[in-house]
Amino acid sequence: MIEHLGPQLFNGIVLGAFYAIVALGLSLIMNLTGTINMAHGSFMTLAGYLAYSMVLRHVPFGWALILAPLFAVVVGVVVERTLVRPLYKREPFYSLLMTFGLSLMAEEAFRLIWGPNGVPFSPPASLAGAASLGFMQFPTFRIFIVGVLVIAIAALAMFLTRTRFGLRLRAAVQDSEMIAALGTNTQLLYAVNFSLGIFLAGIAGVLAAGMLGLSPTSGNALLMPAFVTVIIGGMGSLFGSIVGGLLVGIAISMTTLFIPAASEVAMYVLMAIVLLVRPRGLFGEEGIFG
Amino acid sequence: MTARKELLISAAVVVLFAFGPWLSPLLHLDVSIVSEVLVTAIAVMSVNLLLGYTGLPAFGNAAYFGLGAYGAALSVTYGHVHFIEAVLIGMVAALLGGLILGPFLLRRRGIYFGLLSIAFGQVFYFIAYRYTDVTGGEDGMQIARPYAGLPSAHVTVTDLGFYYTALVIFVIALFAFRTIVRSPFGRTLIAIRQNEPRVRYLGLNTDRFIFVALLISATMAGLSGALFGLLINFAYPLELDWHQSGYFVLSMILGGAGTVWGSLVGAFIYVIGKDIISTITQWWQIFLGALFVVCVLGFPRGILGTLQALRRRAAQQFADDDAHV
Repeated sequence: MIEHLGPQLFNGIVLGAFYAIVALGLSLIMNLTGTINMAHGSFMTLAGYLAYSMVLRHVPFGWALILAPLFAVVVGVVVERTLVRPLYKREPFYSLLMTFGLSLMAEEAFRLIWGPNGVPFSPPASLAGAASLGFMQFPTFRIFIVGVLVIAIAALAMFLTRTRFGLRLRAAVQDSEMIAALGTNTQLLYAVNFSLGIFLAGIAGVLAAGMLGLSPTSGNALLMPAFVTVIIGGMGSLFGSIVGGLLVGIAISMTTLFIPAASEVAMYVLMAIVLLVRPRGLFGEEGIFG
Repeated sequence: MTARKELLISAAVVVLFAFGPWLSPLLHLDVSIVSEVLVTAIAVMSVNLLLGYTGLPAFGNAAYFGLGAYGAALSVTYGHVHFIEAVLIGMVAALLGGLILGPFLLRRRGIYFGLLSIAFGQVFYFIAYRYTDVTGGEDGMQIARPYAGLPSAHVTVTDLGFYYTALVIFVIALFAFRTIVRSPFGRTLIAIRQNEPRVRYLGLNTDRFIFVALLISATMAGLSGALFGLLINFAYPLELDWHQSGYFVLSMILGGAGTVWGSLVGAFIYVIGKDIISTITQWWQIFLGALFVVCVLGFPRGILGTLQALRRRAAQQFADDDAHV
């Protein structure tokens, strides 16, 4: 059992990277507009299916990995401008309920278009093998996944901290009325912010399709761990989402190894313990979301 | 609404439902569907108490609902208890669930409360899903009809008997709900929704009020779940899933948040609507999702809430005692 510890730990980190990136997208949207996007998983599934259809038509995997999330972003912007936007001024649970409805519709739409069962979507041959990390062997595709996710997170961090637009975005999280009064187009901020979240979800969706399988409900399966990640990391903290994601991933992979029956419940136990010690989550800030 | 008028309307609705078994064939509905309306309405009330009146996004009530169903299912299967005992055990199971989750949920308000409710509620889903030996896992568990009447008589509940039992329990639950929300306790819950800091400045421990509201809500959801399990003779993990919570919230919004009768109206539209649409098309989930979108965007006050607003505008009176979200 001990010899499985290393690979299983690595699997936990890969899984955790997925949770982190989904949670990052959720947090971005939640922090700025107070919207809990229940359709986040649907955008992941959408990007996964789009990439699947592209690869079927001999589009290289690399292009599909960029283009499919971009298409998902186009859909996301339309949804945000027409359906989510009217709800920004209302109680947050209205947008939660609305996006929940969207996810129900999307799930059925995926079933109509791509069939009710999962479809096989394997990574390209160049990423199919296993690579040696010196002390053990790992599937190349999983190493690739970690690489892409790390780049995506680093790019997001650069965007938020090093560009003017990112600066405005962070300022709007603090006080969007003040930012609007100073002449920033906050509606544009909202739309771009939503797109960023969907783009991250899209990338995660394509990669997850290759690793965890692709079916009408596959994206939603990642949604609940992402919620737990946000709670553990602390609402309002993007850094917390990354740490929380890794913690959840490792917790799940370790319990899968030692107590398989408890693998789904493990993250909730972790969440309960974190909340007992730190009611706002690990990096939750004072005053954000009560 | 004057007390007299309210009594008349209430009596009319109850009499209408008393003739349910004769009226439902006219709408081509099975009497068990009308039973389901009554049972679901109790769960919707439980959401209404937390969300409509107290302003807490109760997206985890399916957990208590499912605990009620499984409480009844397990006690009937392994304990061979009486119908009423099964319902009571279901309620106690849900109450215990509320007692366990309450201290965690109480720490937060607003969407954070909603997120915590969803997340912690899923724990019970996975427990039911995983402990296959006891709960039947994903397949769920069949519940034999428990005996009603005296233990020696071996009388089980018929569909019609269940309908009238559900009707009586519903009327009691509705009356209890109305009494609670019109009591000083219920007024305090509404005040918490409108301005919690102010309530705290008045010297009231709002956490305690919310905890009690949560326990009442959990028990009501458990009652509904136990009845639902006994109605369909089945308990399955999806009863505990957060999707189920979402359907309850939708029904509450459809009927009218913060109105006493809204829960029944919402449950009626949701249950009957789902039944009719699912016989027409197998893609009913698209319509259900669209119902969410349309209702939230175009109809956020629900049917009774909109009616109330119209009447109030007509009467030019602004002080009403029921709450709106």
